[in-house]
Amino acid sequence: MRQLIALWRKETLALWRDHHGLAALFLMPVIFILVMTMALHDAFMPGASIDVDYGIVDLDGSVHAQRLAAQLDGNSSFRRQSAGNDLAAGREAIRDGRLALVLVVPAGFGERLLLPSGSDGKPTAALTVMLDPALNPALRLAFQSQIAAALGRLRADELTQRAAAQFGLSFAPGLQARDWPEEIVSVAVQNTRDVRPPSSVQQNVPAWLVFAMFFVVIPVASIFIVERQGGTLQRLRSMGLSPTYLLAGKLLPFFVVNQLQALVMVLVGMKVVPLLGGEALIMPAGRGLFWWWVVAAAVSLGAVAWALLVASLARTIQQATIVGGIGNILMGALGGVMVPRFMMPATMQQLAEWSPMAWGLESFHQIMLRQGGLSEVLPGLAKLLTFALLALALAVWFNHRKMQ
Amino acid sequence: MLSVDALSHTYPGSSAPALNELSLSIPDGEVYGLLGPNGAGKTTLISAIAGVLSPERGEIRLDGQPLAEVRRRDRRAIALVPQDHAFYPMLTVRENLRFFAGILDLDGAAQAARIDECLAFACLVQVADQRAEHLSGGLRRRLNLAIGLLGRPRLLLLDEPTVGVDPQSRHFLLESIAALPAAGTSVVYTSHYMEEVQTICRQLAILDQGRVLLAGSLDSLLRNQETVLEVAGGALPPLLCERHGLQPGEDNSYRLSQAGTASLAALLADLAAAGIALERLQHGQRNLEQVFISLTRRSLRD
Repeated sequence: MRQLIALWRKETLALWRDHHGLAALFLMPVIFILVMTMALHDAFMPGASIDVDYGIVDLDGSVHAQRLAAQLDGNSSFRRQSAGNDLAAGREAIRDGRLALVLVVPAGFGERLLLPSGSDGKPTAALTVMLDPALNPALRLAFQSQIAAALGRLRADELTQRAAAQFGLSFAPGLQARDWPEEIVSVAVQNTRDVRPPSSVQQNVPAWLVFAMFFVVIPVASIFIVERQGGTLQRLRSMGLSPTYLLAGKLLPFFVVNQLQALVMVLVGMKVVPLLGGEALIMPAGRGLFWWWVVAAAVSLGAVAWALLVASLARTIQQATIVGGIGNILMGALGGVMVPRFMMPATMQQLAEWSPMAWGLESFHQIMLRQGGLSEVLPGLAKLLTFALLALALAVWFNHRKMQ
Repeated sequence: MLSVDALSHTYPGSSAPALNELSLSIPDGEVYGLLGPNGAGKTTLISAIAGVLSPERGEIRLDGQPLAEVRRRDRRAIALVPQDHAFYPMLTVRENLRFFAGILDLDGAAQAARIDECLAFACLVQVADQRAEHLSGGLRRRLNLAIGLLGRPRLLLLDEPTVGVDPQSRHFLLESIAALPAAGTSVVYTSHYMEEVQTICRQLAILDQGRVLLAGSLDSLLRNQETVLEVAGGALPPLLCERHGLQPGEDNSYRLSQAGTASLAALLADLAAAGIALERLQHGQRNLEQVFISLTRRSLRD
């Protein structure tokens, strides 16, 4: 036991003095969580505003045109800016990049609001949308859908008012100016209760936590290679220290480091992200929290075992940094850390099944988003533990061979 | 006594054996020198004795017991001081000593006392709280030695312990090592610096190509019945060589076997009479370099 304590103490001191290693383990994922959470904030939030500006050129000037504009102001996810009073000003605003979309309300819009085109023998001018050709087609469609919805509400209002007047019904004053509530709410289906879909922070905290945990490969390999190159391993062997003990001496300190990473990343998600305008991370409670920790522990075992394997195989620190670093980035890219898996095409999603980071991330999501328990996280846990045992066995075998 | 019996080992991928049926007896209570050029097999032999390399054939015993048995009973019995700085550069001197003491299973009070003793022995007290990476080459060598002494080993294996140190530190290290047998630690000392071995070893073996070329006491190895003389100004007259039995060697040197006091006096008198200046005269002893060259026709530092 004294040997293990000595090994743990040494690893802790060595890591504490490795400022680059600490930055890779703690600072890098915190920065990634903050940057990516804020960058993807709107992509994960239904109904959130879209960072695209539009304007309205009102060639009609009727009260109906003003109500259409008010409808869009109240319900559109796009930001409205001034577009001038004529078509030329609208075009210019798009050309100089100030606006991405301009809605042109034609003259006679209010007058012919309830007259289908040609029903009275006269044409009805259409609403026109001028747009920046570089605009994402999905955003163009979303804008058109919002105009169609606003137009529908406007016509319904108009019909209601005219019908009320026709039949002598009283009409509450100011009704025409009321805000229409959002009538479609997205709901994610979970095991026990219904909540809104995951926020950006719920995607990014577990994703970058898994990524950061695997980065123990850098400090583990650095210390291990210093030991091997400097003859320290030879000395330890001559002192009767077995390779298994040596690896066990590295396993616990870096397991603890991984748990500290988990604590820091969760606190950043809960406390720091809201300060920057994002949503706070919601952690599971009770048994959910316990299973969350079990997943974190399994990811940690996989990460440290992988680090020990890389450290055992690499001959130089450069080799370990390249193999470990690139390996992690590939696992992260495949595993849905950088790009969420649901955004990947089907083939890539199948490939992601092979990434240990995906096993960890999927298990975290099972608990955080779907209120999953043991049965839901068991496949991921089993894969992670098998991966950890295999990597550890290979590391022990390589070390035995090298020491002989 | 450490006895090495017919030890053979070939590294994977190498055609020549690193150890080739090597046998040796190393007595207790001494600093025993292993001398040989690079690649002679010194480090491989040391590694086998230290238990970090399992030789393909042969056996090593300490006081008649197989080495594995000795190590199983007392894993502090044999300590290795490798050629490299085998410690952690990011830890302080004291932290390094504490770590290795923990690996040797030294407990609290004994550990602290032993660390202080080793710091004092290696004159590292002043730098005990400095990180090892900031030490000079000489201080690093002292720390390397101090770690080896933590477990009070019966046998200390020193693999080229003075490589890359300044003369002052080398002198300090050699003095410290020479004092170890008196404190109960026998030493096996490998080097390719013959002056060092000549200074601190009373017994030694000369290795080359995985074999023992010569082993014994320093005095017996250096004792020489052959007289060597070098003269200035060209070759000696053949008549003079014939009269005194001189065998010509290289660079105006001549060898004379079994020269007694009278015959040597007669030779010197004849040289003086012929007006021949003597540049060098060596009688009764030679140095290790000459011993090695006479055995291998190669220099120790080749």
